[in-house]
Amino acid sequence: MSRRSWIGLATMIALIGIWFLTTATGLVSTMRFPSPRDFWSALHQIATRGYANGTLLAHSLHSLKLVLMGFATAVVTGVPLGLWMGWSRKAEAAINPVFLIIRPIPPLAWIPLAILWLGLGDAAKVMVIWFAAFVPSVINTFAGVRTIERPILEASRMLGTPRLRQIVEVVMPAALPMIFTGLRLSLQASWTTLVAAELVGALLGIGFVLNVAQQDIYPGMILVGMATVGVLGWVTTRALGMVERRALAWNVAARD
Amino acid sequence: MGSIRFDNVSMRFGTFNALEGINLEIGEKEFVAIVGPSGCGKTTCMRMVAGFEHPTGGTVSVNGARVVAPGPDRAVVFQQFALFPWKSVRENIDLGLRNKNLPKSEREDRIARALKLMNLESHADNFPHQLSGGMQQRVAIARAYVLDPSVLLMDEPFGALDAQTRVVMQEELVRISRVNPRTVLFITHAVEEAVYLADRVAIMTRRPGRIKEVLDIKSIREAEQWDKHSRIEDVMDIESFVHLRTQIWKSLREEKGSDAV
Ligand SMILES: Nc1ncnc2c1ncn2[C@@H]1O[C@H](COP(=O)(O)OP(=O)(O)O)[C@@H](O)[C@H]1O
Ligand SMILES: [Mg+2]
Repeated sequence: MSRRSWIGLATMIALIGIWFLTTATGLVSTMRFPSPRDFWSALHQIATRGYANGTLLAHSLHSLKLVLMGFATAVVTGVPLGLWMGWSRKAEAAINPVFLIIRPIPPLAWIPLAILWLGLGDAAKVMVIWFAAFVPSVINTFAGVRTIERPILEASRMLGTPRLRQIVEVVMPAALPMIFTGLRLSLQASWTTLVAAELVGALLGIGFVLNVAQQDIYPGMILVGMATVGVLGWVTTRALGMVERRALAWNVAARD
Repeated sequence: MGSIRFDNVSMRFGTFNALEGINLEIGEKEFVAIVGPSGCGKTTCMRMVAGFEHPTGGTVSVNGARVVAPGPDRAVVFQQFALFPWKSVRENIDLGLRNKNLPKSEREDRIARALKLMNLESHADNFPHQLSGGMQQRVAIARAYVLDPSVLLMDEPFGALDAQTRVVMQEELVRISRVNPRTVLFITHAVEEAVYLADRVAIMTRRPGRIKEVLDIKSIREAEQWDKHSRIEDVMDIESFVHLRTQIWKSLREEKGSDAV
């Protein structure tokens, strides 16, 4: 393990130690913040017997599914739109004004409309996540195309590269570092939005667990829900990072 | 028929007169270098032949046809290499050939020859970031040569290289040009480089950019048998070389002198 990870690990252990001490000595009331023992028993309960209609695994998988669906929808729509806007000044001129109006609307403000259109089911939640994740994908892809160095594009034109091949083999890879920046932000936005979307009209999922635990005044379970979102977010971000490192192996700038 | 022709070419960027009254004809398989102070419009001249830029007056033509757009008949070697970092050396060289829809066997053949010509055989599967600057520029030259272009355009191709690498590349370019002569428009601000490489040297002045004079190097090189020497430092010692170099320097300096306030 590297020096950096040792320091990180030491900090984690110290934080858990402080947590243990402050709750055990009564410095922090366990009605407000759970002790490690409360946390552990809540975790044990939801993992084995389940809580709020399902086990931790069922809730996690459900949330993960919604996030990945919303994220994937955002990527397959956002990246091409960003490429197109970056490639064509006309497309930019046409789409940008719409974007400027829609962009400041917080994704969560779409929830009422999404529910009106699609009901209380999963579809509405996926749609809200899609909206939230869409914007960073589009903007960063667009910026990635616009910041391609001029000689790269000129080299491609000089070689007589036909348009489609130029987009696939030159423009897309050249913009890829920025596209991945967009994907990372999109993924973050997906998780943020998920929890909020699941607070309304859900029957399963981590956001729903949080909602029920709050109504039950169950601090241990609230913390379990929060920690689960944190872990799931971390795992998906790591997975995306691995894809990125493979895809950008040629990119020395991203090495360190 | 002249391969590259500037016919009373002028270029304005907004209200700024970058080039004025440029007339130059570069013959088939002739190697012409343009020297001049930075900002005098050398790059702009080359970019007009490449088709990246269009003159606001006069015409630029290649093989008798007016230049309208970039194309593989006019291969460009850029100062900053402009390789595709996500493609291997082989893939970089292959792109132009694929664009020509050549059969695979012929492409492989041509790539093998280009790699050999530039001494790149052991690096075919490397990526640009794994190569030194000199090696990267070799790839860029191979990528241009492999197209078998009627015209080769080089804009300070060795400007980003260190002094030693630069010398090696200059010698290589002379070797290649003798084996495989091309019509070359070579931009540089290094006078020795121009005299060493070119058949003719065009000297440019600034504000507005004009061609001040064109010197014939080839006849002197042949008369004095510069090519008997394979090393650049030996050629640079020859009296006729020194004389030409000094002549160009003086011409450029008059230019700079008139500029100094
Ligand atoms: N696209 C452009 N727009 C405005 N000015 C330009 C443009 N390209 C070149 N110039 C100007 O034209 C002049 C000649 O430029 P350039 O051809 O690059 O000179 P050189 O290659 O000899 O250094 C410079 O003053 C430069 O600033
Ligand atoms: Mg220049």
